Amino acid sequence: MAVFKRGYQRYAGPRTSNLTRFLAVPRFVWPKLLAERFVIILLVNSLFWPMLCAGFIYVSNHAELLPSLGSGGDDGIRKMLTIDGKFFAIFMNVQSTFAIILAAIAGPGLIAPDLANNALPLYFARPLSRWTYIGARMMVLFGLLSLVTLLPGLIVFGMQASLASSAWLAANWTLGQGMVLGFLLYIFMVSLIALTCSAYVKWRVVAGALVLGFFFVLAGASKIINQVFRVEWGSLLNPGYAIYTVWCALLGVETAEDAPGAWECFTVLLVMLGALLAVLLRKLRPVEVVS
Amino acid sequence: MNPVIAVDNLRVRLGKREILKGISCRLGASGVGKAIGLLGPNGAGKSTLIQTLLGFHKPSAGAAQILGFDCHRQSLEVKTRIGYMPENDSLIADMTAVAFLRLMGELSGLPAPAALEKAHETLFHVGLGEARYRKVGTYSLGMKQMAKLAQAIIHGPELVILDEPTNGLDPAARQRMLVLIKEMKEQHGMNVLLCSHLLHDVEQVCDEVVILKDGQIVHQCDLVAERQANKRFVQLHVSGDDRNFGAALREIGAEGVSEAPGTWRIVLPLEVEVNALWRLTARENLRITKLAYRRDTLEEIFLKAVGHLQPSAQPEVAHGRI
Repeated sequence: MAVFKRGYQRYAGPRTSNLTRFLAVPRFVWPKLLAERFVIILLVNSLFWPMLCAGFIYVSNHAELLPSLGSGGDDGIRKMLTIDGKFFAIFMNVQSTFAIILAAIAGPGLIAPDLANNALPLYFARPLSRWTYIGARMMVLFGLLSLVTLLPGLIVFGMQASLASSAWLAANWTLGQGMVLGFLLYIFMVSLIALTCSAYVKWRVVAGALVLGFFFVLAGASKIINQVFRVEWGSLLNPGYAIYTVWCALLGVETAEDAPGAWECFTVLLVMLGALLAVLLRKLRPVEVVS
Repeated sequence: MNPVIAVDNLRVRLGKREILKGISCRLGASGVGKAIGLLGPNGAGKSTLIQTLLGFHKPSAGAAQILGFDCHRQSLEVKTRIGYMPENDSLIADMTAVAFLRLMGELSGLPAPAALEKAHETLFHVGLGEARYRKVGTYSLGMKQMAKLAQAIIHGPELVILDEPTNGLDPAARQRMLVLIKEMKEQHGMNVLLCSHLLHDVEQVCDEVVILKDGQIVHQCDLVAERQANKRFVQLHVSGDDRNFGAALREIGAEGVSEAPGTWRIVLPLEVEVNALWRLTARENLRITKLAYRRDTLEEIFLKAVGHLQPSAQPEVAHGRI
């Protein structure tokens, strides 16, 4: 029967699980984000670096190509073409830039409209807690940022694993594990920064600028502290540096000895994430209470 | 029968102020569609009570239960069974009405295909069928109110909490909203908690009324019983010589008081029909110029409860009855 001929009836069918129903939010938001021109341009651009890396992996696994490339197959070139932790650290570093820009474009539109439209009571009057609301919004960014970080990373790693011998995979599987963990931590951090900016700043452009500013301003501040006090611990304030140090530790890449270590950086990142979460939770209330 | 809403010595403190000061009541009956009116002057604590029932505020003492589930400790269970229509503009403006309702349905636990079907069905039900593919942000105020109602009932809740549903509606839209609320309880067996300043609206659709003042319940009454009880009070205006009319009334077992020449206030026993008055006036050569059932209006009950009407100026009221 046509829907307009049918009268309203109370729904009495089965219900979905409490644990999965928050996934409806990203399902509704992704199509809208993927319809935005900037997002598509960025996604396409983010593929160039993985493609270059894929070409690099192909060449490094086909030593017979080196003479034809004019290198003569000397050891210096062979060493440069080695696929190791440093290769993946550089790969992650470049891709992370795209992730920040993508978060700055997509993130501000996630919470700010709900606050502007006073839509939070509608969400929280349903079986959805503040944590699941944040989880739902974070899933939106997780899916999007995975397209430029985790997914290409896994493809590049998978390509190397398939082209190289099984001995390489047996010796270097920790690189894949480190990359996945490193990207997950990074996505969590960037998403949380983007959501917090979205919750506090109504205007999308300003909120996007704030996401970028969070990284650049803190990076600048850390440099100033290092220069003025002639110390190295100022780098801990730089989230970009902190996450890169953690990545290097996960990938087994050595970092400067006098600089803060991976555990210090990891601790600072955890504190930063905790603070962001607290600030975000404070803002996400179904009703404003004026004391 | 289990109450839909059970509040026991509920105290809610927001900041330094205690808003709800130990209220207790049992409202509605589970499984029976009833509408409960929540009334009170501004600042009485109506919204705080609603928000506490929704689990937005933690009680500082006491407890509130909906359908047997504690509103704070079992808030997910409660929220699965209720629908809420907020007072203020509260929509996702850049979504079409269908997408908006579908999202709300899915978040309430409807599977995706059912949510889509119910979104269309509910939008037609509230009269937004033709506008369902328009973005909600482009709706007029009346349409937004209907969209808010639709999102509150899409998942077929057992209790629907409506906060000022007729605010800003023109008379036709207001009537349509009231009809929908009546249908919700009478045809679909939903319980409705209606918070409104418009006493006429509450009187039209509600079966029970709770009046709050300064964070306390000052009055609670069953409007259905009220209407039935007050049906036996009659105001009669007659022309002619009515000096013997009082004695004539006693003959049929009725009590009457002449308020002014030609104006009578009569209490009819339950077994005496109004027709008896027509016969009596004909016998006494009187002509009835006006006959009205006299009943305590909700406005009078409200004004007395909040202390804006002197009891001496009106008939005695005990629990809403004269």
